Amino acid sequence: MPLEDLKGKKALVTGAASGIGSAIVKRFRSEGVQVFATDIHQTGDLIVADLTDADHVEKLAAQVGTPDFVINVAGGPVAPSRSETLPALPKSSLLLEDIDELQWAAVIAANLTSAYLVCRQFAPRMKARKYGRIVNFASIAARRGSDRVGVHYAAAKGGVIALTKTLALELGPFGITANAIAPGFIRTPRIAEANWGNVTQDFIDSLPLRRAGRPEDIAGVVAMLCSEAGGYVSGATIDVNGGLYFGP
Amino acid sequence: MKTAVVTGAAKPESIGHEVALRLQRDGMGVVVLDLYEEGFSSLSGCQCIKCDVSDFDSVQRIFSGLERVDVLVNCVGGSWEITKDDLRAGPRRGFLGLTNCSLEQWNTIRGANLDSVFYCCRAAAPLLKKQGGAIVNVASIAARKGIPPGAEGSSGPYAVAKAGVMGLTRQLALELGGFGVRVNCVAPGVIASGRLKKVLKFSGEQGPEGPLKQIPMGRVGTVAETAALIVALCSDDTSYMTGVTVDLNGASYAA
Repeated sequence: MPLEDLKGKKALVTGAASGIGSAIVKRFRSEGVQVFATDIHQTGDLIVADLTDADHVEKLAAQVGTPDFVINVAGGPVAPSRSETLPALPKSSLLLEDIDELQWAAVIAANLTSAYLVCRQFAPRMKARKYGRIVNFASIAARRGSDRVGVHYAAAKGGVIALTKTLALELGPFGITANAIAPGFIRTPRIAEANWGNVTQDFIDSLPLRRAGRPEDIAGVVAMLCSEAGGYVSGATIDVNGGLYFGP
Repeated sequence: MKTAVVTGAAKPESIGHEVALRLQRDGMGVVVLDLYEEGFSSLSGCQCIKCDVSDFDSVQRIFSGLERVDVLVNCVGGSWEITKDDLRAGPRRGFLGLTNCSLEQWNTIRGANLDSVFYCCRAAAPLLKKQGGAIVNVASIAARKGIPPGAEGSSGPYAVAKAGVMGLTRQLALELGGFGVRVNCVAPGVIASGRLKKVLKFSGEQGPEGPLKQIPMGRVGTVAETAALIVALCSDDTSYMTGVTVDLNGASYAA
């Protein structure tokens, strides 16, 4: 049964080239939402933009106008660049001493600065309309700490949670909700390719729900937050991890 | 036919009432457990059973008569003493905290809010495990932040019982996950239910958690929004969520 309040709305989905972002685009379209999809990686009909660059975000806004929903999926444990737009994911976690300041800055920019720039660009437009839904992407790495990626990614995603809570307070009076989703182990094609952190079947079997997540599992929660069901949810971080970690 | 059991659904303008109607609209058979018989006529099509869910034996007896349960939504509860003898009771004057409540008050409030959830989950678990399903419990923002001394219209025992509901949710998520049963919880802030009207009438312009202007979204939540969230937590949209408490409070408390 379709969710209330989605049909006819307009959404911006970042990081839409593959995996979770791509699943969200599909889900929205199936609900009758008009979707503007963007990624630094060119594929299909999506808008190519480097969201760590304020000029690119401004140009994106000129094409998108005022969305009802802004879904910030862009990011990841390895920062893409304009020359390497879909980098392979690491096969194991990086130690603190293995992360140099360039990697640190790039991962913070890809995950946190991008969300900040997109929100800064689009929130004023939503405020003028007194309506909007913002969904940012955190990670279990920020909730329990990261043993699969590294401190740069966990810190960036922790920043996303704080950004989201602050936006909820700041934008609440304008009828705009801001929430974060903290996915656990989601088997996207890129993660499967990297056999991320040498995840074992034993680990998967130890999860309360006994399976890895699917991108569609995350898309469902995004749809929920943008629907009537999410109308009074704001400032929340929703853990979607099959019971791996319960949060604060 | 897929079957949902919803407790605390008989009072019109309650969250449970709206949840029962929505699950029915989604094509489920709905069983309502409640003591408030006068409300049963507003739930045509639901199987309404008079039951005190804070009584272990009553709950066991009811569930032993059910053939199938796919969804259990535990809405029964209340922040002040509501007993079998006075189902329409309103809040009382004065702050009711842990340091001044009577043992009887503690037992009544804990029984309605926490024991009832344990009893219903316990009785429903064997039925849910057969084919998988979902449990959704209702906690409260009171579990997150407590009730400040001086506040009227809610209570300390309620805050503690609702925190217990969150812990129960996590524990059951671990115990039932392997059977395809997801267990989640919502923690509402101030919701415009029939009960809130009682509190507002009682306390003037202030909600049970303080002035409404302290809510960043500048409004109370609706019963429809709350019920929609609960129904979403029963659905495949949340198929990878378990053990989670979703706060809905207009940004007034971020866990």
